[in-house]
Amino acid sequence: MGLYFKYFKIHFKSELQYKLSFIMSFIAQFFVFFGYYFTIICLFDKFSNIKGFTLYEVLLTFGIIQFGFSFCETFFRGIDQFDNLILKGYFDRLLLRPRNILLQVFCEEVSFIKLSRLIQSIIVLVIAIIKIDVVWNVEKIITLVFMLISSIFIFLSILIITAAYCFYTVKGLEVRNVLTCGCREMAQYPIGIFRKGFIIFFTCIVPFGFINYYPLLFILGKEVNKLLIISPLITLVYLVPSVIIFYRGMRRYSSVGS
Amino acid sequence: MKSYITYFKLKFKTGLQYRAAALAGMATQVFFGFVYVSIYVAFYESGSGNLPMKLNEIVSYVWLGQSLHAIVYMWYKDKEILNMIKSGNIAYELCRPQDLYFMWASKILGERLSNCALRFLPVILFALILPSPFNLDLNIALPRLLLFIVVMILSTILMTVLVLLYHVICLITLDEKGIVNIFMVVSDILSGMLIPIPFFPKYLQNISNILPFRYITDFPFRLYVGNISMNEGFIGIIIQIIWIVILIILGRLITKKALKKAVIQGG
Repeated sequence: MGLYFKYFKIHFKSELQYKLSFIMSFIAQFFVFFGYYFTIICLFDKFSNIKGFTLYEVLLTFGIIQFGFSFCETFFRGIDQFDNLILKGYFDRLLLRPRNILLQVFCEEVSFIKLSRLIQSIIVLVIAIIKIDVVWNVEKIITLVFMLISSIFIFLSILIITAAYCFYTVKGLEVRNVLTCGCREMAQYPIGIFRKGFIIFFTCIVPFGFINYYPLLFILGKEVNKLLIISPLITLVYLVPSVIIFYRGMRRYSSVGS
Repeated sequence: MKSYITYFKLKFKTGLQYRAAALAGMATQVFFGFVYVSIYVAFYESGSGNLPMKLNEIVSYVWLGQSLHAIVYMWYKDKEILNMIKSGNIAYELCRPQDLYFMWASKILGERLSNCALRFLPVILFALILPSPFNLDLNIALPRLLLFIVVMILSTILMTVLVLLYHVICLITLDEKGIVNIFMVVSDILSGMLIPIPFFPKYLQNISNILPFRYITDFPFRLYVGNISMNEGFIGIIIQIIWIVILIILGRLITKKALKKAVIQGG
């Protein structure tokens, strides 16, 4: 942990060296993110609900998913850009150091520009929490916290798996985008609104349903099963095989030279 | 003229080499298209009265957008051109007898068209075989189809000159990350790529109607699906041509200005 913070400070200082460029990129990121919820707001301007979910309920799911994703993009950018590390042969450097490999990969890059997205997703989240038609109690708050944590973990697991994929193909193909961006795009809405096939996929294979749908039903009072409070934690289990896959892939690693 | 066509051909052929990338891109387009369509279907099934577009119209709109994605999106950076500006290799480019502006235009056009050529048909085919509410509607009258083709060609040119304008601005800013990024994102939103213009709030509709961006994406696609009448289509063509002329003049002016005091970065 201490090591991560040390890297963190270094990255922060280096990024602030280019102030104007930093500010400009920050604003550009703002607009990119704006595009995401702009669509949702436009659609709810014309429609009153989507399969029974109202604007603020969708914005809550949106906020939770975007929070998890932008958190990973900001603080674990290194794993997101993993193919660069392999392509340029920098990965060898990490292997030589007597520290945990995955931690080093995480530290490799911290993107403060993406902080713009993180802040916005938190703003959207707060607005949704205030405006949503829910009486908050301890159980529901705990559920929400679990949802947020597991949102981070699911994106982290996906990123680790796709990074492991680079060990086999060297260059990370756009397939990664399908998994991360495509799933994110879908998971912005409670997955219950989609057709059966999607629901099964997002429950059993990529468990987004346990982040943005089943616990949401509990928060909204549509389900009363107490088990749903801890259901988001299923995604933590997802992290284990992805880390194993990563280390397995690493055994196959052969340097591309530098 | 001949040399520009050669540049175009060169880029087009190089682009066709990247088949693995195209395959991955195709998968992305198909998946995203399916996601968007599913969202719209869910919205329309929840029912609501007063809607600016019918379900099958918007579904076809999404699929057209995905299959022609390589042509209509604005967030595009030609690495070769940008590197040239940053590294100073633009000096070689300036030594050539061709006009810088049109040379770059033919390069960008070549690259974008080759990207599109590889992805267009498979995505369309996929969209056609899907079951009813999810599929692309091919039912279109011949005159409208012909008009759509003309409009789409103009829209491709408009896209090229607009993207080129952003690259030319980099001649001044020397960096594509700041203001140019902002331009690109905003034009993506206002072009109607995320969501068709009729779904915008009223004031934003008015703004995007006077800007060129919607004539790249929103206008041709809505013309295809029948949301815009043929008469409006003809007026739109005139507006497209006017914008192309304006943007070319603007782009060339900036190029001229920038090159007058060009500093070659390194050498």
